[in-house]
Amino acid sequence: MRVAFVLDGAPAELEAGEGEMLVDALRAAGRLSVRETCGIGVCGACAVIVDDEPVSACLMLAAQVDGRSVTTVEGLPDDDPVLQAFTQAHAAQCGWCTPGMVLTVKAMLADDPQIDRERAAEGLGGNLCRCGSYSRILDAVQLAAELTLKED
Amino acid sequence: MRWHAPADLEEALLLRGVHGEDVTVHAGGTFLGILMNQGLIAPPALLSLGRVAELRGIEVARGELRLGAMATHLAVERHPEVREGWPMLARAFGLVASRRVRAVATVGGVLADADYASDPPAALSALGARAILRGPGGERSVSIEELILGYYTTCIRPDELLVEVRVPPAPERAVYRKFVSRSSEDRPCVTVAAAHGAAGLAVVVGALAERPQRFDDLCAAAAGDLAAAGAREQLAQDYAARVEPIGDARGSAAYRRRVCAVEVRRALEALAA
Repeated sequence: MRVAFVLDGAPAELEAGEGEMLVDALRAAGRLSVRETCGIGVCGACAVIVDDEPVSACLMLAAQVDGRSVTTVEGLPDDDPVLQAFTQAHAAQCGWCTPGMVLTVKAMLADDPQIDRERAAEGLGGNLCRCGSYSRILDAVQLAAELTLKED
Repeated sequence: MRWHAPADLEEALLLRGVHGEDVTVHAGGTFLGILMNQGLIAPPALLSLGRVAELRGIEVARGELRLGAMATHLAVERHPEVREGWPMLARAFGLVASRRVRAVATVGGVLADADYASDPPAALSALGARAILRGPGGERSVSIEELILGYYTTCIRPDELLVEVRVPPAPERAVYRKFVSRSSEDRPCVTVAAAHGAAGLAVVVGALAERPQRFDDLCAAAAGDLAAAGAREQLAQDYAARVEPIGDARGSAAYRRRVCAVEVRRALEALAA
């Protein structure tokens, strides 16, 4: 079936197979930052933002985003404060979980611009980093909060 | 696989009536997504309620909370009137999985799935909620205990849709406890939802058996004595003796029975505090 939506700010159409999950459709459309890992909505590596909320693209059918807006990390500008903060804090080790982390942090900061470390850790409870870079990721959240506030 | 995405409830009910058990109702799809990804189900057709805007509402009418079947967990958790009037419910929905799942998973979905390891059913049961089922013959209203019959089994007929959940005015005291045995974002091992007010005492234990466990006879006998630690402990022990726990990766049956006694006691302490 034909799915028409907004992908990273631009109108997009794709032909989704029967029962095709959004993660597969996005990868087929070249968005390789969206990574199926656990397939049960637990790890956060396939997180994308649909309308304004992060969701697990492994549990959402491509058909569900018809008429909606999808943002992947590839749609963020290079000078995005969260991306900048993750780079400056060396928050990625292998980098596999980073796109999902960045998008989750963006949503967290939109709700809670002055988030502290404890609330940030709670908010990232559904994003797993198997390298165990959590302390640097939390450093990056603090830095991202500062950069975002400065930007505004 | 056919994808039906009706634009309104009337069309959805019509399709449900025509196709019956040949379509699987798709709400948020987080649970169906897991089952499909694991190859456990391969539905020939899905009936999506995603475009049915009239099922997404959350409103308070005559003191009663009305949750549309397509209201998301996140919407319930964040809704100012739910937080103000039914804080225990907002908390229970807010403890489900991760924000990503809560942004998509729905009130109707979690009830119609009847998964034993979910938070909302026990919380809704303790608050005396009722599910509204609509079919060709009109509407009927069932309690959560009438709705959920066993593992993944409900009383919803093949031509009916769960359209709304109604929660009566909240009791004076209500508490929700979630015990997880593995990681913080895991599904629960044992949950306890307890409420005490004009309607009496209700204690519902979730996630430890195939359906939420509530023993109103035990609660009625103990309701007047909650201020006494001995009575609270006795009720907790009585619950632990009466439940029929299952064993799974989150805990054996014997373990769950012990956790049940502790968690019921702690819930009663919170009610009495």
